[in-house]
Amino acid sequence: MAIANTFVPARNTRAILIKWIVGLLVPVAVFTFVWSGEAIINNALLGVFGLGGVSDIAILVQIALFLVIFYATVIALAGYLVAADSGLRGMIEVWVDILVFVLVPLFLVISLGLIIGLALCAIIWPVYFFARRRIYKAINYTPPTPLLNLKVLSDEQRVELKNRAISGSFWFSVALAVVWLVVDLIFYVSGSLPTSLLIWVVIRTLLLPVAGYFLGRLAGVIALRRTIAAKSNGNDGNVSDGAGKRVRQRQLEKLSTTRVREEAKDLVPNDLPLRSTGAQRFFLILLVAFVLFYPVIDPFLFGFGTAGRLAGYGDAGYYVILALGLNIVVGFAGLLDLGYVAFFAIGAYTWGIFGSTQLTNVLNLAPINPHLLSALFWPMVIVAALVAALFGVLLGAPTLRLRGDYLAIVTLGFGEIVPIVFLELDQYTNGTNGIVGVHSPSFFGIDWSVITPVPYYYLILALIAFSIFVNVRLRDSRLGRAWIAIREDEIAAASSGVNLVTTKLFAFGTGAFFSGIAGAYHTAKLGGVSPDSFSFGDSVIFLAMVVIGGIGSIPGVIVGALAVYSINQFLLAQLDSLAADPSNPLFAVRNAIAHVFTGFTFGNIRNLIFGVILVVIMIYRPEGLIPSARRRRELHEVEEEGVEVGALGVVPGAPGFESEVRVE
Amino acid sequence: MGVELANEAMLKLNKVSKHFGGLAAVQDLDLVVMPKEIISVIGPNGAGKTTVFNLITGIYRPSSGDIFLAGKSLSGLSPDKVLRRGIARTFQNIRLFNNMTVLENVLVGQHAQLKAGIIGSTFRPPGVVREEAEARQRAIELLSFFGSELVDRQEEYVINLSYAYRRRVEIARALAANPKLLLLDEPTAGMNEAETLDAVKYIQRLRDELHLTILLIEHKLAVTMGMSDRIYVLDYGRKIAEGLPEEVRRDEKVIAAYLGTPTKRGQKQESVE
Repeated sequence: MAIANTFVPARNTRAILIKWIVGLLVPVAVFTFVWSGEAIINNALLGVFGLGGVSDIAILVQIALFLVIFYATVIALAGYLVAADSGLRGMIEVWVDILVFVLVPLFLVISLGLIIGLALCAIIWPVYFFARRRIYKAINYTPPTPLLNLKVLSDEQRVELKNRAISGSFWFSVALAVVWLVVDLIFYVSGSLPTSLLIWVVIRTLLLPVAGYFLGRLAGVIALRRTIAAKSNGNDGNVSDGAGKRVRQRQLEKLSTTRVREEAKDLVPNDLPLRSTGAQRFFLILLVAFVLFYPVIDPFLFGFGTAGRLAGYGDAGYYVILALGLNIVVGFAGLLDLGYVAFFAIGAYTWGIFGSTQLTNVLNLAPINPHLLSALFWPMVIVAALVAALFGVLLGAPTLRLRGDYLAIVTLGFGEIVPIVFLELDQYTNGTNGIVGVHSPSFFGIDWSVITPVPYYYLILALIAFSIFVNVRLRDSRLGRAWIAIREDEIAAASSGVNLVTTKLFAFGTGAFFSGIAGAYHTAKLGGVSPDSFSFGDSVIFLAMVVIGGIGSIPGVIVGALAVYSINQFLLAQLDSLAADPSNPLFAVRNAIAHVFTGFTFGNIRNLIFGVILVVIMIYRPEGLIPSARRRRELHEVEEEGVEVGALGVVPGAPGFESEVRVE
Repeated sequence: MGVELANEAMLKLNKVSKHFGGLAAVQDLDLVVMPKEIISVIGPNGAGKTTVFNLITGIYRPSSGDIFLAGKSLSGLSPDKVLRRGIARTFQNIRLFNNMTVLENVLVGQHAQLKAGIIGSTFRPPGVVREEAEARQRAIELLSFFGSELVDRQEEYVINLSYAYRRRVEIARALAANPKLLLLDEPTAGMNEAETLDAVKYIQRLRDELHLTILLIEHKLAVTMGMSDRIYVLDYGRKIAEGLPEEVRRDEKVIAAYLGTPTKRGQKQESVE
């Protein structure tokens, strides 16, 4: 009986089951059959059987890990979604969401490559959000209030929730197994599936439902953890579980709609399970697995040219670190910094001067052993970051009394001065020639000078992971609260015990620290420093990354950095080469324009297009691609009353402050 | 009166003046607050009451004169240093951090007592974790001083709270700093009668239960008269009267400053009380 309950879904859950099985099966099928999932597996298996394909054991292990993680996560996700869905949103709505957010990117990435595909998504999504809002308005549809069905689950309901998760995962993997079997049979009949793999087809078809059952149990546990008692508060730590739940329920009922909408993301059952915190964990696992094993699976996904692509991603990576650092200054502390490139330059030149023969030449010392120098890269990353942080504090000090526009102008000045100083100190920096011959890092004796970008790819991954870790920890700390408080109201912050001077200097210093890391990495990867990589334009690009991604939001600025980098450096840079292909629609466009303006190329108007794209994103999504909750509230509820805080020219208590501001 | 007892005074202003250009906002003000007292500063609009608060908390600097907390001069201290000495305040127009939650606001109020630095915040050794947990616990205790409503709504953005509750959060934030002296700038401004009564009650409880000394600015005379131990009256930046509520109420200069001509006195007092 219990078994029947588990596997045969109740009548009311069947719709939900169909909704999510179809919703997830389509993207997984596209990945597996249209793209390269099947090719990766088959090549790996052929390698295992010794019939060609991949033969390197290390690569095989990585591929196997990736595939197991990928399919297991998706199957568990199916169970979680079925369990967590409150059923309030219709099938069509969910499928449209999956179409826009999963299928469209998938097809764009498959046909145009990873970076261009994602860059186009960054343009398409804001337009989609805007259009959806318009349509909702036109048909007078308001999404249901979250937490309508807010309730503490009874034990019976908890069991049912778990059963739903099991049936979700189980039936999803059955469906996947059947579809896969049918497709493989077609492949076999058409002759593109080697006979030796048939045994795998049988094993897989039998294995998937079993795996589905156990992964469903796991998904059920995960979903249950997010039911209403999930978030316990300090004040009800000593009461029994049931009472704690009721306290939590009472608290939720008293929250305003805006806050409830944010809190509702955590909870199960959920109106928008795809966007709930639980589902985000699954997405994170998928993303981490993808990024971690990317160098191995890239050849299957995109064919030849892995090295070049990986090098490109390495460049995108240091933009992420820069954006994360700038986010501390601009997003958390609210200090507009237009000269951020200065600290990037300081970090870059620190390793540039030390890591080449530059320093020893100038000081007339014997050159340091190159092997030792390569190993010294690791401590020098920290030194470069600390040097940048020191200058962040030094340059921040004179700007402490300024805010808003005035601060921006002074930082703009610093952004101009620092690169010029490096240019003019040609005794140390080689002036306009820049520094060449910087040693590449080595890791436990493994020399990175071999022409492969893989070590740099993993290095930037590690650096990004470290930057995100520090960012998240600082945001949720005493210091992070003080930064946000300063952004909100300097006078109130000072009157609450926040030392404006040290807190602002910490913001400048921490922000500069990360640009120092990015700078050292930049130099190491390039093998040199060129003085023209540090212009005012770069500062503006960094700022655009933070603003487009969502000021103050850590996932936002990461996405913003990637989006701006890929639009600016990839999409627009490739327009001309795309237009050279007569089969491409851009070919006709370019010729039409060139007919009127002779000698026209897309390169001529590259900055214009970039500017237009930025303007469009800002018009349709002023809060950024992934806004922080605070910022979203600010932009969308301006009608609410609030105390206006004007720009402070002078630190409270300083002489001259009174003429600036009247505090009431 | 009171000046001769200055040795034990919690707060003492000694001939404090403040000029904005040619305008004398506060002139030669002497003011003494004894421990555990509730002292009110009243006066017509523009009398310089809020300027006095800004001078005490270090937002403004006195043009001349000196301010002492428990015998130690506060001159030249920035607002956060003044807070560390033990003076916390609220503002006339409520200056909360609107895009932070109730709990976060009170946590910012504890900033001066918490120690986690940049390294500690990043790596969170057990000491920092404990400190943070205790800070949260204490923030909830402070909120519960005003009943259970704010505790329940601790995760709400303050901008979504009613005016009266925002006032309470602001006081809770000030209390979070463990002050000896609390400055309340018009704590009942914008409140209806029931809320005002409630506010009067909790201000008295602040003294009786938390043993705080309170200096407050108030417009509603009934409120002031009811709970103050002594009252200072300012007009055009000068002290025109001080004393017990009853004495101040009958003072000719006060009546003139507040009501213009004595003839209007009757009606006006009715409308105020």
